[in-house]
Amino acid sequence: MATVADVQAGTHAPTPATRPAPRWRTFPFWRWAILLIAGVYFLIPLYAGLRFAGLKAFANVFTYPGFGSAVGLSLRLALITTILTLVLMVPTTVYVHLRLPQIRRSMDGITILPIVIPPIVLIIGVLKVAPSFLLSTPYLLALVYVVLAMPFAYRSLDAGLRAVDLKTLVEASNSLGAGWPATLWRIVLPNIRTAMLSATVLTVALVLGEFTMASLALFVTFPVWIVQFEQNAGPVSTAASLLALFVTWLLLMLIVTVGDRTARKRGGARVALFTVAPQETRPTAGEPE
Amino acid sequence: MAGSTAQVVAPEAPSSGARPSPVSRSLRRSLKWLGIVPFGVYVGLGLIAPFIAITIAAFHNSSTGAFTLSNFHAALSGTYLLGLKTSLLLSIASAIVPGIFGLLLAYAIFTAKRGNVLRKVVITASGVFANFGGVPLAILFIATLSTTGIVTGWIKDLTGVNIWDHGFTLYSAYPGVFIVYMYFQIPLMVLVILPALEGLRPAWREAAQNMGAGTWQYWRYVGGPVLLPSFLGCLLLLFGSAFAAYATAEALTGGTVALTPIQIGALLNGNVVAGQENLGYALGVIMVVIIAIVMMIYVSLQRRAARWLR
Amino acid sequence: MTTNAARNAAVDSARRARGTGGTSVLLRDLSRSFGTTKALDGLSLEIAPGELVALLGPSGCGKTTALRIVAGFETADTGSVLVDGKDISGVSASKRDMGMVFQSYSLFPNMNALDNVAFGLRMRKQGSAQRRKRAGELLEMVGLAPQARQYPHQLSGGQQQRVALARALAIEPRVLLLDEPLSALDAKVRLQLREQIRTLQHRLGTTTLFVTHDQEEALSMADRVGVMRQGRLEQIAAPDELYDDPATVFVAEFVGIMNRIPGELRTDGTVTVLGSTAPVKGQEPADTGADGGDRAVDVLVRPEGLTLQVAEHGNGIVTTRTFLGSVTRVGVLLDGDIAVQVDKPSSEAAALAPGASVSVSLPGQPVLVAPRRAVPG
Repeated sequence: MATVADVQAGTHAPTPATRPAPRWRTFPFWRWAILLIAGVYFLIPLYAGLRFAGLKAFANVFTYPGFGSAVGLSLRLALITTILTLVLMVPTTVYVHLRLPQIRRSMDGITILPIVIPPIVLIIGVLKVAPSFLLSTPYLLALVYVVLAMPFAYRSLDAGLRAVDLKTLVEASNSLGAGWPATLWRIVLPNIRTAMLSATVLTVALVLGEFTMASLALFVTFPVWIVQFEQNAGPVSTAASLLALFVTWLLLMLIVTVGDRTARKRGGARVALFTVAPQETRPTAGEPE
Repeated sequence: MAGSTAQVVAPEAPSSGARPSPVSRSLRRSLKWLGIVPFGVYVGLGLIAPFIAITIAAFHNSSTGAFTLSNFHAALSGTYLLGLKTSLLLSIASAIVPGIFGLLLAYAIFTAKRGNVLRKVVITASGVFANFGGVPLAILFIATLSTTGIVTGWIKDLTGVNIWDHGFTLYSAYPGVFIVYMYFQIPLMVLVILPALEGLRPAWREAAQNMGAGTWQYWRYVGGPVLLPSFLGCLLLLFGSAFAAYATAEALTGGTVALTPIQIGALLNGNVVAGQENLGYALGVIMVVIIAIVMMIYVSLQRRAARWLR
Repeated sequence: MTTNAARNAAVDSARRARGTGGTSVLLRDLSRSFGTTKALDGLSLEIAPGELVALLGPSGCGKTTALRIVAGFETADTGSVLVDGKDISGVSASKRDMGMVFQSYSLFPNMNALDNVAFGLRMRKQGSAQRRKRAGELLEMVGLAPQARQYPHQLSGGQQQRVALARALAIEPRVLLLDEPLSALDAKVRLQLREQIRTLQHRLGTTTLFVTHDQEEALSMADRVGVMRQGRLEQIAAPDELYDDPATVFVAEFVGIMNRIPGELRTDGTVTVLGSTAPVKGQEPADTGADGGDRAVDVLVRPEGLTLQVAEHGNGIVTTRTFLGSVTRVGVLLDGDIAVQVDKPSSEAAALAPGASVSVSLPGQPVLVAPRRAVPG
C-alpha cells in the first residue's frame, strides 16, 4: 500500500520509508469473527421463519379470520396515539426549551418514569383506575400508549431542539418582528421536522408491536391476534410475525433515510434510532488538518 | 396561518402576554408554569395515579379491603419468590452476556474507518433489531428452535442429536427465554455503548502512545477506566429492559414460565382464582422498586461519565 | 517572587540533570498523500539541537501532517525522519521518546493533574514516589502546583494546556512537539502561555517543533520559522529575515501585510512605480521572459515602507483610518483605483481625515516585485 510519490523534478531520489508494523491490521481476524457470529445469530431466525411459514402462508395471512379487524384496530390506535403524543409533547418540549429550561433535568427524569414502571404494571394500574366508559373502548389503549411513547417522543424532540439552538432562533425571529404564532409555524416547526418524524415513527412502531397492555385489557390488536394462532396454525402466525417485523423495519428505514437526507441537505442533527438512554452529543474531535 | 411579519413596527416582547406592572411580576412568573400543565395532568392521570392506586391496593386485602401486609408476604414466598429470583437472575444474565458481546461488536465496528459501509449497516441493523421483540420475535424463535423448528432439524441432520432430548427447551427461562432475549439486548447494547466509545477522544490514545503506552496499557490506564461508568450504566439499562419484559416470554411460553411479569399477568387477567389481584399489585410494586433503584444507580453513573467526557 | 524562584530552580535542576547537548532532527524529503490529496510534497527540514522551529501556514498546508509523522502517528509515503542521525521511521510512536502537546483535550480525564504528568514516567517503570516527586516539580515549573490533585474537567483551558506541557516535559523528551497548542485558548491566556513555553524551552534546551497558523505566535516564539504551502516549504528563516526578505510572493503576503502597487520593471533591473524609480531586491519574478521593453509587475511593499504626506494635488485620497496604538494604519485609494495601507505614527496621523488628498511615495529603498496580478472583475 506504500505509494511511491512522483519524483519531483530536481529533488533527490526518494528514500523508501520503512513502515512500522501497522498495529491495527492484526485485529481484523477477530473483528470478522464477531461480525460473523452476530450475523448468523440474527439472520437465522428470520430465514427459519421464512422456511417454516412457506410462501403460501403469506397469502393466507390476509384472508385469515380476524386479520382485518385486528390490523384495522392497530392502525387506528397508532394514528390516534401518534396525534395525541405529538399534540402533547411538541408544545411541551418546545415550551420547556424556551421558557422553563431549569426543569430540563427534571424532565429527563420524568420521562424516564414510563421505563421504570413496566408496561405490565402500568396496565394493571390503569385498568384499576379507569372509569368504566373508558374501559369498554379500545381507545383506552391509545391513551395509555401515549404514556409509553412519551420517553421516545421527548428524547427525539429534545435532541432535535438542542441541535438547532431554538432559543437563539426564536429570539432572532422575535427581534425581526415575528409574533409568536408566526415564529412557531415558520421557524420552530420546520426545524424540528426530522425530530417529529422520528418521534412519529417510533410511536407507530411501538403501538403496532405492543402486546402486553392490549392482551391484558382484552383487546384484539394485531400482535394479540397473532398469538391467538400460535398453537393452531403455526405457519400463518409465523408469516404474520415476519410481516410485522418487515413493517417495523420499513418504518425505521424511513426515519433513517429521510433523516439522513435532511441532515445532508441542511446539516442538521443526524437522527438517532431509538434509545431511551440519554445520548449526550459529543463534540467530534476536530481532525487537525 | 397568515404570515404576519409584514408591518410589525415594535417587535413583540418574547414573554407572554402579561401586562408589565409590578404586581404581575410574580404572577407572570407563576403563569409561566401554566404551559407545563397539560403535560403534568397527563402524566399524573396516566402514570402516577395508576401507580398510586395499585400501591394502595397492594397494602389491602383483596376480599375484605382491610389494611394488610399479607400480599407482600405472599409475593415474597413460594412460587412468587421463585419467580422473582428467576427474573432477577435471568435479567442479570441477559445484561452481562449481551453486554460483553455488544461491547465487542461495537468495538469491532468502531475501529473500522469512519463512514464505512459496514459501520452504517451494523448501526442501522442494531436500531432495527433493538425494536424487534415481543410476539413476532418469540414466534420466529419457535419456528427456529422448537421441536419441529428449522435449526433443530439442521442439528439433527448434521449430528444426529435431537437437542430437545438432551434438556434443551424453549419454554423455560434457560436456555429458551435467555436465547431469545439476546436478540434485542445485544443491539440495545451496541446502540448505547457506541456513543461512549466515540467519546473516547483520539487525542487520549495518541497522548498515551506518545508517553510510551502500548495498546494494553492504554486500555488499562485510560480507555478502560473512562469507559467503565458508561459500560456499567449500559448493563443496568439492559437489566431493566430484560426485567420488565413481558410480551416475549409470554408469547414464547404461553404464560407458563415462572417470571414475575408473567405471574403478574396471570394474576390479573381474570383466568386465575379471583381475589388475588392485590397480590399481583404487590408484585408490581416490588418490580417498580427494584427498577427504580437500578435506574437511580444508572443516572448517577451517567452523570459521572458525562463529567469526564465533557 | 518566591514561586518564581522555585520555578526557576526546578527548571535549572532539570536542565542540569539532562546534561548539555540536545538532539538534532532531520526531515528528509517527506511525502504523504491522503487519497488524491497530496498533504506533503517532498518536505525537507533540519532542526538544530535546542532550536525551536515553527511550521507556519494556512490550514491544509501539511504542517500538522509533518508533525504527526515526526511523532509517529502517521507514516510518510516516502522520505524519512532522522533523529541524531538515526532513521526512526520504523520506530513506533510509543518508543520515540518525544513529548507531544496536542491542540486540546488530551489530558486523561480519569486522572488528576499529578497523575497525568506522571503517566509517562509510569510507562517508563519509575517508582511511585519518584514519579510523584518529578511530576510535582514539573507542575511547579508551569506554576500549577496547587492544582496537582484537580481533575481536567475542573481546570480551565489554559491550565489544561500547561498540565499537558508539563506532562510532555516530564519524560525529558529528546524532542518536544507542539500541535497548535494555543489555538483553542482565549487571547490573553494565549499570550501568557506563549511566554511560558518559550521560557521553558529556552531553559531546558529541548529541540522543539511547533506547528501553528498564527503568524504572530510563530514569529514571536521561534528561532526559525518555516512557511509552508500545499505540502511544501516555501521558506525557512529567522523571523526578521522572513519579514524583510521573503523568498516568494506567498511568504511576502502571508507574513505581515503587503501592499501591491502596479509598476513597470525596466530592463536595467529597476522598477518604476508611483512616479519614482527604485532598485529591485534580490529575486526576479520567475517568468523573466522579457525580450526588451518594460514588463508589468506588482511592487510589494510593507505599510511602514511607504511615505505619506498631505498634498493639495496628491496621487490619492484617504479612505480609512485604523488606530492600532502607537501606529495608525491609513487606507489610501490611489489614482487608478489602487488601495494601499500606510502606517504612520499616530501623532502624525491625527491630521489625516477620510477624504483628505495625500501623496504616497516610495522612499527609494530596494523593493520586491511579483508578476502583475490581474485585478478580479
